[in-house]
Amino acid sequence: MTTTAWILCLAAAAFLAAVVRAVLILRAGRWRDGRSQRVLMGVGLGLLTGFLYLRGHEVGQCPMKSLPDVLVFVAWSMVLLYFMVGTTYRLSLLGLFTAPLVLILVALGGLLPGAFEPYSERGPIVPLVELHAAVALVAYAAFAMACVTGVMYLVQERLLKQHRIGGLFFQLPPIRELARAIGRLVWLGWLLLTAALGMSMALEQSVAESKLLFAWAVWGLYGVIALLYWRHGLSPRLTAWLAVAGFVMPFVSLWIINHV
Amino acid sequence: MSDVRVDLKHGLLCLGLNYRTTPVEVRERIAFPEAHLGEALAQVRALPGLEEVVVLSTCNRVELYARQEQGDESAAFSALTRYIVEHFGLQPEHEEALSFYHLTREETARHLFRVVSGLDSMVLGETEIFGQVKQAYQTALGAGVTGRTLNKLFQQAFSVGKKVRNETLIQRGSTSVGSVAVDLCEKVFDLKQARVMLVGAGEMSRTCAQSLVSRGARSVIVSNRSYDKAVELATEMGGRALKFDAWESVLHETDVIISSTSAPHFVILPEMVSQVMRRRRWDPLFIIDIAVPRDVDPRVNEIEGVYLYDIDALEAIAADGRRERERQLAQCERIIEEQLLKHGFASSVDRADQAAPDSPGLSIS
Repeated sequence: MTTTAWILCLAAAAFLAAVVRAVLILRAGRWRDGRSQRVLMGVGLGLLTGFLYLRGHEVGQCPMKSLPDVLVFVAWSMVLLYFMVGTTYRLSLLGLFTAPLVLILVALGGLLPGAFEPYSERGPIVPLVELHAAVALVAYAAFAMACVTGVMYLVQERLLKQHRIGGLFFQLPPIRELARAIGRLVWLGWLLLTAALGMSMALEQSVAESKLLFAWAVWGLYGVIALLYWRHGLSPRLTAWLAVAGFVMPFVSLWIINHV
Repeated sequence: MSDVRVDLKHGLLCLGLNYRTTPVEVRERIAFPEAHLGEALAQVRALPGLEEVVVLSTCNRVELYARQEQGDESAAFSALTRYIVEHFGLQPEHEEALSFYHLTREETARHLFRVVSGLDSMVLGETEIFGQVKQAYQTALGAGVTGRTLNKLFQQAFSVGKKVRNETLIQRGSTSVGSVAVDLCEKVFDLKQARVMLVGAGEMSRTCAQSLVSRGARSVIVSNRSYDKAVELATEMGGRALKFDAWESVLHETDVIISSTSAPHFVILPEMVSQVMRRRRWDPLFIIDIAVPRDVDPRVNEIEGVYLYDIDALEAIAADGRRERERQLAQCERIIEEQLLKHGFASSVDRADQAAPDSPGLSIS
């Protein structure tokens, strides 16, 4: 195995440990401030950063041109957002809900065909293209975090409605805060995607039409969600459902744009 | 090291009474007012043979921890009892109702460790006692009536109390309707932003509202058929009173409704709440229905963003909380026994005879 493969394996192990540890602690009812969770997620973030750095050297550009690399980049962005959103808004258990999705993305990034392989063609590096791709992927990561927060909202709402007051209930954040976090994440993702698409218009080299089409579709979907949320046209439950179900589109589009 | 252990145990004693041994009518007569505690500490310290002293006086217990330099323990207990009777000028009938427990050495340490951990409290695992013991110790320390033995014992007790709370779930869950209401409310909003409205001013709704206000609820509105009573309760809570026929008009500005009217039918209906939710733009609404018969139509809980809990639901959650804490008791006791051994208080007493003041085997006079 190459060094990059080893680093990715270690990162996956860190996120797996974060999931297992969180579940064990939660089942035992001993969740305190989630420090061990943050440490494991931090280790995973460090390893993913190392992976992206080395991988960038291997392929001689930002590692965002193959599906496995894109998935790892989105996972990296998600963990980064987790640290920004989770700590700023004190969304307890966000790490527990984020780690499984990150683990899946990292595992797919390591197992899919083409993982760790050099890029077939290496064109000239255009900084704006690199920036456009990076900003778009961070936007997708924000949508992924909105999806995770949506799941948390739906779980907490169910527990509150059904009067099932147990371990998980006490650890989840207030439902009003979760609803607001979903809105903020959708807005953040949409604004970043707007910026990324704006950059694509300024590019001299053309971006594949299929990529742009899917990106605009995702932009439209989240634009509608963000607008309706802002205008209070959507209830928090529906917003949460849309944030969860809506993420299917960017997730699938990652596949499509890399294979069309 | 062994010297320290001998020193810690030597002459250590505790004379006390609590909610289990003595009725409140008597307890209230021998509570030490905080303002005069320093003076009382000096007086107890001046009793013959006593070297160190800490007085713990709360609504549920009065306990005198002391270290006797030498002499007979029973003489020290008699002196302390006499002091209390004379200090508070107790009448013979109250003196007879006094039921002190006499603890020495390991029993004293075990008892203090249990008290600090909340295991001896009326509400198992409550945390307020930790602060009360700390305050009592600080007062004694400030008054210069503690010494090496009690300083060490109380420091150990605080560390044991923290350990018990950190390593068990003795604090988890809510054990009273008021605390359940607060816990649930905190899972819906940030309490500091919550506006509370009482519809009806019954005792239970007062308790719930007080719990919410004490935890920082933003504002309180009280609406009651008797406007005078509404004004009285609103004044008590720093809120505002509202005529009973006007409460519906401010529903949309309220985050928490505590309803406890004596109406024989539902007063809060789904249609009314649906309208309110539209005006609230889906902002969540938490409704506590304490009335029997119920004030709130249960179908209200089906409306999105509305979380309705009636008295049975609150009681059930509180009962679960109490059961959960009781399940933790054995583990807490085990930690305390380990800590007693660690700190040189090896027990020769059979566990069945140990520290709980209501258990057999202790000296209660």
